[in-house]
Amino acid sequence: MTDDRALGPDMHPPLWFPEAALPAADQDLLEQLLEGRLDPASAPPGYGGLARLLAAATAPATPEELADAQRTMAAFAAAMRSHPPTLSPRRTAMPRTVLTIKAAAAALVAVLSLGGVAAAASGLLPDQASPVADQASATTGTDAAAHGLGPAAAANLGEAADAGSADGQGRASAVGPDATGTAQAGLCRAWQAGQGADHGQKADSVAFQALAEAAGGADHIAAYCQDVAAGASADAYGQSQATVQRPPRGPGSARQHRPWRARRSPDYHRLTRPELLAAERRPSGSAGANSGRQGWSSTPTSIRPQTTNRRWTRLTAWPRPR
Amino acid sequence: MIGPRFPELLAGAQGGDEQAFAVLWRDLQPAVLRYFRVAAAPAAEDLAADTWLAVIGGLGRFRGEERAFRAWVFTVARHRAIDWHRQAARRPTDPVPAERLSERPAPDDPVGQVLEDRSTRAALALVAELPPDQAEVVALRVLGGLEVAEVARIVGKRPGTVRVLAHRGLRRLARRVEVTGLLGDVTR
Repeated sequence: MTDDRALGPDMHPPLWFPEAALPAADQDLLEQLLEGRLDPASAPPGYGGLARLLAAATAPATPEELADAQRTMAAFAAAMRSHPPTLSPRRTAMPRTVLTIKAAAAALVAVLSLGGVAAAASGLLPDQASPVADQASATTGTDAAAHGLGPAAAANLGEAADAGSADGQGRASAVGPDATGTAQAGLCRAWQAGQGADHGQKADSVAFQALAEAAGGADHIAAYCQDVAAGASADAYGQSQATVQRPPRGPGSARQHRPWRARRSPDYHRLTRPELLAAERRPSGSAGANSGRQGWSSTPTSIRPQTTNRRWTRLTAWPRPR
Repeated sequence: MIGPRFPELLAGAQGGDEQAFAVLWRDLQPAVLRYFRVAAAPAAEDLAADTWLAVIGGLGRFRGEERAFRAWVFTVARHRAIDWHRQAARRPTDPVPAERLSERPAPDDPVGQVLEDRSTRAALALVAELPPDQAEVVALRVLGGLEVAEVARIVGKRPGTVRVLAHRGLRRLARRVEVTGLLGDVTR
């Protein structure tokens, strides 16, 4: 600085000194300045002006800066009137490609798992799944009994095994060994297949006891299962026809080739979740209270923030203010 | 900064309480406006108003504490500034190339104003003279009161880069103030 003062009145120092001519600034000092922790009066030589500049930049608000208060409050009140505060779902746009790829993957997984359950439960597959589950529960029950556990514990184990094996086929059926719900059709088919024979301990198994309970007694299983089989397959067939043969929705024919983007018909969840059918048939049914949309809505929102950030990180160019 | 009352005020504002929102606004509006005086000076008032409209629109979905709220508001503000510059690029502009603008003396010398009457506007004008990436980082750190990591997230740069940009900006400002101040002394 003293060198600068030695310049004659007709000599002008360069407006910007080269980097090397700077006083070696302490990093801590700069951080203190950035965080407003350095009092201009105690700033080291060469930084007093900068400290004053930053203090001026962060001076208390002037009335002029708060002049917009009324307009902003009016906007706030108007926004609250037109959109009352609710926890509405996010509706920010997201990049289309990401949506379609992720949604396609999610749809594929969902179709595979739900489709398997639907087919098994409505009797479109050969009876494998449910009898296996029944045998599992029966075995677990008897094993538990053989190991000296009480009947209640055995029943619990059986139920757990039943739920576990049913769950292995798809998340939609994770409602437990409900003989009036998911397992209804499968249990009935297993029961009908084994009628007259007495290998295994079918009638004693937890699963068949549940079935008997649902039917209103062991004697009523036959009649109960007849209704179930007839109703379930007829309904499922009719709905699958309705869903598959829906007419195209106008000129946007490209959408027809992206099934994951198609809107679900109201019958869709009834088709994929047979317990909803049962719930509808029973006047007191409550199994379908929260039908399975959460799988669909959670996927896009969970990936949204990342894509938003990535979208903006590219926009780092900032033309000089004029 | 509002401090411990912030969660209560935020919940109030999200529930439609005008008084609560007014407190949030009064706390942040000066910083937002000053940020725009650095980032997009000619349209600062309008862009600040736009920013608050967007904040009002998204308020119900915001979750987080006060620092996150400030970071969010400045993220919105930065998007407004970027949009404004994009549109400004399409408008007919001053034919003077941007590189020469810093050489042109300001009509009323901001350094003199800062040194004499500590004018906030003049100080912001000086920050705005920095190279854009330095000006942005200095504005977010000093005016927004944001930390390195928060600024890094907002501008999409690495924390180390943000730190270097801020330090370079400050050194440059320091030189600007000292040199011009000395010039003033010499010529006076």
